[in-house]
Amino acid sequence: MSFRKRNIGLSPGVDRTAVPNAATQPAAPETPGIRPSPDDGRPTTSTGTRSLDNLLAGHAGLPMGKLLLVEENGTTDFAGALLRYYAAEGVIQEQKIHVVGVPEQWGRSLPGLIGSAESLDEKRSDRRKDDRMKIAWRYERLGEFGAGVAGSRDAPATPGAQDPATKEAPAFCHAFDLTKRLTHPSITNMTFIPITPSKESPFLPILKRLQTAISSSPASIIHRIVIPSLLNPTMYPPDACQPEHVLQFFHALKALMSANTTRVTAMITFSLSLYPRSSGLVRWIELLSDGVIELCPFPHSADATATSGAATSQEEPPQGMLKTHRLPVLHERGGGSDQNVGQDWAFILSRRRFEIKPFSLPPAEGDTEAQDASAAGGMPKKSDLEF
Amino acid sequence: MPSQPPLPPLLAPYVTLLPESSLTLASSILGATSNWLVLRFLHAALSSPSLNPAFGADETQTGIKKKVVLVSFLRSFDFWKTEAKRLGLDLGRLAEKQQFAFIDGLSELFYAPDASTPNTSPAGLGSSPRTTLPLRSPPGVMPGRGPPPAAAPPRGNISVTRAQAEPGIAKKLHFTGRGLAALDLIEKNIIAVIEQQKSSVEEIDELVLILDQPDLLLAATGPTMGIGATEIAEWVTGLQQHAHATVLTLATDAPLIHNASVSAGQPATPIETEHATFAIGLAHRARSVMQLRTLETGAAKDVSGVLRISRGGGWSAGEEESWEEKEVLYFIQRDGGVSVFGRGES
Repeated sequence: MSFRKRNIGLSPGVDRTAVPNAATQPAAPETPGIRPSPDDGRPTTSTGTRSLDNLLAGHAGLPMGKLLLVEENGTTDFAGALLRYYAAEGVIQEQKIHVVGVPEQWGRSLPGLIGSAESLDEKRSDRRKDDRMKIAWRYERLGEFGAGVAGSRDAPATPGAQDPATKEAPAFCHAFDLTKRLTHPSITNMTFIPITPSKESPFLPILKRLQTAISSSPASIIHRIVIPSLLNPTMYPPDACQPEHVLQFFHALKALMSANTTRVTAMITFSLSLYPRSSGLVRWIELLSDGVIELCPFPHSADATATSGAATSQEEPPQGMLKTHRLPVLHERGGGSDQNVGQDWAFILSRRRFEIKPFSLPPAEGDTEAQDASAAGGMPKKSDLEF
Repeated sequence: MPSQPPLPPLLAPYVTLLPESSLTLASSILGATSNWLVLRFLHAALSSPSLNPAFGADETQTGIKKKVVLVSFLRSFDFWKTEAKRLGLDLGRLAEKQQFAFIDGLSELFYAPDASTPNTSPAGLGSSPRTTLPLRSPPGVMPGRGPPPAAAPPRGNISVTRAQAEPGIAKKLHFTGRGLAALDLIEKNIIAVIEQQKSSVEEIDELVLILDQPDLLLAATGPTMGIGATEIAEWVTGLQQHAHATVLTLATDAPLIHNASVSAGQPATPIETEHATFAIGLAHRARSVMQLRTLETGAAKDVSGVLRISRGGGWSAGEEESWEEKEVLYFIQRDGGVSVFGRGES
């Protein structure tokens, strides 16, 4: 059973509200921001980044109860942008956000809302329509190849036959503008858990607060745990990176999330420049996470337009590579059968979106020179003679 | 897509015949987890030969009857239950029939939430009168309802306050204190469950103990808390003595194994040296080693990874010659089925 084949069969006929009934996920339709996975019906929520949602092993979202670890090389903060989208999406969906280790300014710098992710895509495709080669109508419905992750399942549902029910359905994922600031009534719904020095593990008070917050809230409240730059020495005490502290924290966090498996998701960012992947501690952190993705920004993305893989001059050049080391649910089962695994991904962060797309090298541009030279029959060109 | 048999034929001889006091090591890495293999071990031991497992396996099955105690440090019971259901195993019902016991090393190992206190009262009520009854549930009982009779402790001297809080979970492990004392407590708790499983039905003669990633215990404690590779290895030995056969899974990612060697260039951290010592020591003791890894050539659409089955250091020379070492590919389908095939086949 190929993934794409089923995708076609599923998308036009079945609207989103009908799926939960079939999959017997009674809680899913009522809660905004939660929808059943097209893969196996488990509830998922959006990471606030549509192309990241689509990357997650066919679930089109982060499955509830799962922890996503975003690692980043270098001194850039692309992972921080992903984390802000994740938090902002939670604010829009009126979920409860728990931010660990950073002051409240972090919460004030969340990106501003533009609209639903679908609306942004429609606008973009409108803009593109004029200068794009016309392709057959039936293929156009399949979505933009290359523009998003291959498993993008929302594209087919957008145009054409939509019944009013889906039209009214609240958006699952939103688009945000990094240059604006988020204003939303439920932005006060964020709690900031400071790191307090303690005699034993510095993570113990954090766990306690998370535990009480989650167990004392009503069952309808969805929680997001946001941990920016874990183990960053400017925020965490030196003994935090002792294995017995940080690994016990991850284990307990995993326990907490599996105890409330339908209500909690978490995203953690982590700098690989401080803690390289080749160390045993980091490997254990990864083993304890449900999903692990790694961002490798290109060193000079500002002037790399010519060389770093933009297929046409209109596309923005990618700013880095993205590697998926482990995907939620898929790898827990044993892994492997997803088409997104093992691909080379590139990411582009622009003002309005974080886009992940397949990485491909452009035709080498230096070759034109060589072709010219060979066409001229080996004669030295004028430019070569002048100094 | 043809549906796969729950137990692929190529794999079957390696997961079914576990000789007495043998240790089978299943090693995994980040991109190739061992959960599916553990499920195959579960299936090999627990599935009844009769077509319909709903009708008493006790009567139809003659000969050796197997039981399993699964100790999982990284996965919740929910995960195992749902995944086993895909293979046609109802762990909840099997737990009621005392064929299976789950020991939860995840939820309260390092940090026990206070919120579970209300659960203790029904557990305390339920435990004492049930100990004497040789219970076998009627076949019609729905799984996962009510307190499980399977989980009643035979002896009262071990603290099992919230043991029966959730159906199907025989015990939740706690790590309290430090060093050997903490390990001993965990060992005692696991042995209590094993002994109670053994005592429940007379004709039982094989109990398979599956330890799922006990290396977490080592990683998350370490020498600063008085636990090193030697202590954990002894702890495993102590548990092995109470089981017919033991299956143990652990992580063997490259940083955890190779950083400890002298040639690695950089000084190894304790977590790396201890883990390497533990893993290599176990491989020398194990009868067979099943090693899971991803393809060296990158990901493929129809291959999940490579399974290498080899004899471990504990292989006794007198054993049957038909058991051959093998390297095969495996592929996990979306529905949970696994196909195992040689290179070049499909």
